[in-house]
Amino acid sequence: MRRTFRNFSRVVAHERRLLWADRSLWAVCGLLALLLGFGLHNGLAEVKAREQVLAAIQASQPQREAALADRLQRVLAGVETPDPFANPADPASVGSGMGARSALLPYEAMAPLALGQSDMQPNYYRVTYRSRASFMDDTELESPWHLLSGPFDPLFVIVYLLPLAVLGFSWNLLSAEREQGTLKLLLSQPLTALTLVAGKAALRAGALLGTTFVVLAGVLLAARPELRSAAGAAALAWALGLVAAYALFWLALAVAVNALGRSSAFNALALLAAWVLLVLVLPVLMNLAVQAASPAPSRIELATRTRLAAVEGLNRYSKLLAADYRYVAQPEVLQPQDGKIEVASRRRAQYLVGRDTDREIEALTERFDTQLAGQQALVARWSWLSPALVASESLTALAGTGSERYLQFRRQVGRFHGEWKAFFEPRLLEGRAINPDDLRAMPRFAWVEPPRAQLRAGLALAALQLLLPVLALAAWAAWRLRRLRVV
Amino acid sequence: MARRELTELWRDGRLLLAGGLMLLLLATAFAVGWQQQRAIDGERQAAQALDYDAWIAQDERHPHDAAHQGMHAFKPLPPTAIVDPGITPYVGSTIWLQAHRQSELRFRPAQDATGLQRFGNLSVAWVLQVLGPLLVIVLGFNAFAGEREQGTLRLTSSLGVRPRQLLAGKALALAAALAACLLPALLLAAGALAMQGGWDAVLRLGLLALGYALYLGIAVLGVLAVSALVPSTRLALVVLLALWIGGVTLAPRVASDLAREVHPSPSRQAFNQQMDDELEQAYRRAWRAQLGTDKRWGAELPLNRWGIALKIDDEAGYAVADQHFSRLWDSFARQQRLQEWAGLAVPLLALRGWSMGVAGTDFAAHRHFSVAAEAQRRLMQDLISHDLVEHADPLGDRHFSYQAGKNLWARVPRFHYHPIGAAAALRDNVASLFVLGLALAAAAVLAGWAVGVRKP
Repeated sequence: MRRTFRNFSRVVAHERRLLWADRSLWAVCGLLALLLGFGLHNGLAEVKAREQVLAAIQASQPQREAALADRLQRVLAGVETPDPFANPADPASVGSGMGARSALLPYEAMAPLALGQSDMQPNYYRVTYRSRASFMDDTELESPWHLLSGPFDPLFVIVYLLPLAVLGFSWNLLSAEREQGTLKLLLSQPLTALTLVAGKAALRAGALLGTTFVVLAGVLLAARPELRSAAGAAALAWALGLVAAYALFWLALAVAVNALGRSSAFNALALLAAWVLLVLVLPVLMNLAVQAASPAPSRIELATRTRLAAVEGLNRYSKLLAADYRYVAQPEVLQPQDGKIEVASRRRAQYLVGRDTDREIEALTERFDTQLAGQQALVARWSWLSPALVASESLTALAGTGSERYLQFRRQVGRFHGEWKAFFEPRLLEGRAINPDDLRAMPRFAWVEPPRAQLRAGLALAALQLLLPVLALAAWAAWRLRRLRVV
Repeated sequence: MARRELTELWRDGRLLLAGGLMLLLLATAFAVGWQQQRAIDGERQAAQALDYDAWIAQDERHPHDAAHQGMHAFKPLPPTAIVDPGITPYVGSTIWLQAHRQSELRFRPAQDATGLQRFGNLSVAWVLQVLGPLLVIVLGFNAFAGEREQGTLRLTSSLGVRPRQLLAGKALALAAALAACLLPALLLAAGALAMQGGWDAVLRLGLLALGYALYLGIAVLGVLAVSALVPSTRLALVVLLALWIGGVTLAPRVASDLAREVHPSPSRQAFNQQMDDELEQAYRRAWRAQLGTDKRWGAELPLNRWGIALKIDDEAGYAVADQHFSRLWDSFARQQRLQEWAGLAVPLLALRGWSMGVAGTDFAAHRHFSVAAEAQRRLMQDLISHDLVEHADPLGDRHFSYQAGKNLWARVPRFHYHPIGAAAALRDNVASLFVLGLALAAAAVLAGWAVGVRKP
């Protein structure tokens, strides 16, 4: 045992000297650090810009509320004549725009690691009592060409390029020694092929993971102070652990292919084929399969049904809609009287049309979310087929930019929209004027993060899905290497 | 010589294995694309017809309420989307043409997909763009380097074969091998497109084939150049794979990120905020000049002037919206142009622009549709405010009691959309084709030089 360990250290030290002199260690680790650095730069810049947007919305909210309260006071005191369509005492004005509140989804501290869906799904909605069809389908503004190309974020470097760095270092780990004739020489010493390969693999893993860890952890800790807490450190540790497991998969694969005892050219082509298949082709095919197995309902049907529901609403409330505004002849209707106010018939009708439309399309919009959740579940069930998928899905979930978190956000916003309508509906239909207490009691959106245990369970499963193949490949390679004959 | 090369490729099984896999993927991609295009386009056309029928059949009501309910315009999916869906997953398909404000196309397919979508979409274009050059590498990396190692290169040159002739023979063999893999797919596509989209689609397919032929031509000459330049097959393979990975995975993202830095586009929040502010100013100016008040829809404005106010409001907004949307869309277009020129170094970037441009699934096509849909919206708005002005209440305090009927609805024409034609698409994208041609010429010069550098 002690001799094995001594041999192992010798191999590591020897390989280090070799690679050092060859400069390839420097070159590959330097290139990896550079690419990761560029990815982090992009991720951090993107998240910072989007966080600034959220901060600006958040900062403007109290100002808007104070301005509204102020105007209401002046209208109630009789100092100001209210506008017909911006009347702080009128529930129709306040509920449909003046008092609108924003629902915000904060970015996680780890967000720069993986931009995920954040370049398409909005992290904010401005909620009014208008139909959800008027605001819930908004998307972020981003060049479609850019969306198609995909962002250069750290996740891209990890999922696509880190395996190549690993393979570039280890594809001819053993085959090169054989082809140069040094393998016979080495194994004539008291050294087993297993120890030799383990030593070489350990050095390569150490160098690449060391570089990755230093760059990722260093930059993220420096740029995201939130990570310097216990929870932040745990998230970072999970990320590094998953990255390590993913890199180890590729290293184990390279070792296993080397253990086959074929030529370097064969190894190169076999490993390249594995990379193309697992990283490029399988995810694309799986995307197709998942969409076929749990297809999204038709958006065209949604559009058509929304419009039909609106038409029915217009017919249903045609009398209310045909009633003219009375404020022209009687300006006093704009003023609240004893807690009451005349809400214009047309505005009541517009609310009712929106409400009924929402009811009509609720089941259909719900189906979009259900189908997407179904797709997500399929991805979770089958992602073990490709470690690239496991790594990508788990790191995106950890970064809080996965489709699941956005789905949760949309559901919570949907509920908040319901509360908002429930608050205004009685006031609007019964003609109750908005008072200062109402302004304070209006619903507020607060994002509720799904339980962390759920996320952790997902991450643990991902780690397992990465590590099990590593163990299997390593065990198989060890078994082969024990039987290796060089003469 | 070409025949001998082909026989070799066939014998060592590489052509059969790699080419067969490629053909299988192409066939899958084609079948999926065909099925989706038919289903989606059929549904959209049916919905478009239904939508107009519903507009005509609606009850009598106040024209402004009808305008609020509006109409839908569904973007058709061209038959060539079977080959290259381009940006289709990332742009909306449906636009609701309503009163007051220009809207954007909604419902991006990628919104209804999981994170897997971001790995890419299986399409004929994706297979050819990403895996095409890899196939060339697998078939050709040892073309010169392998023969040099075996010593046959020296033998061939001792027979008096000039290096350029050798290059031409090998290039021809690779091209023939590729053609064997891809021609069946091309013929299949031509048949399907002739059925779906007629001559326009077949012409587009021809242009697509031209682009991909140039692209793969660059790959063939590039691979042969590297194979001739480097001393060993091992190094040739490593260099070529590094170039491939850099070209198909790294470069598109880097180029896209850099293009965004050079021609930045605003966030949704900033875009909306700025447009709202400027619209508000434009409205106020117009109201002050033409209605004598800058309080919009205030209590001072008699209801019988709402028709004219609506017209003034709309007309003041058109120019502002045009300006903002043009600026935004120009920034997207400039980002794309910049990347297409980067195609000189990374041909994939130029090919992507050419391919989706000719297929009619690029941003220019999307923009063209958005503009046409907005023109329809404005037509509807203008007809309606004109009708409201005509029917302004003589008593002065009525507006919404007026109800219009079928006569007015029928005055709004059906929305007919004519996509950019094949000739115009060719004209708009000729720069990308030029870049591809230039890159091919450069690759030919490089390969011609490379075969003469090393001693056989």
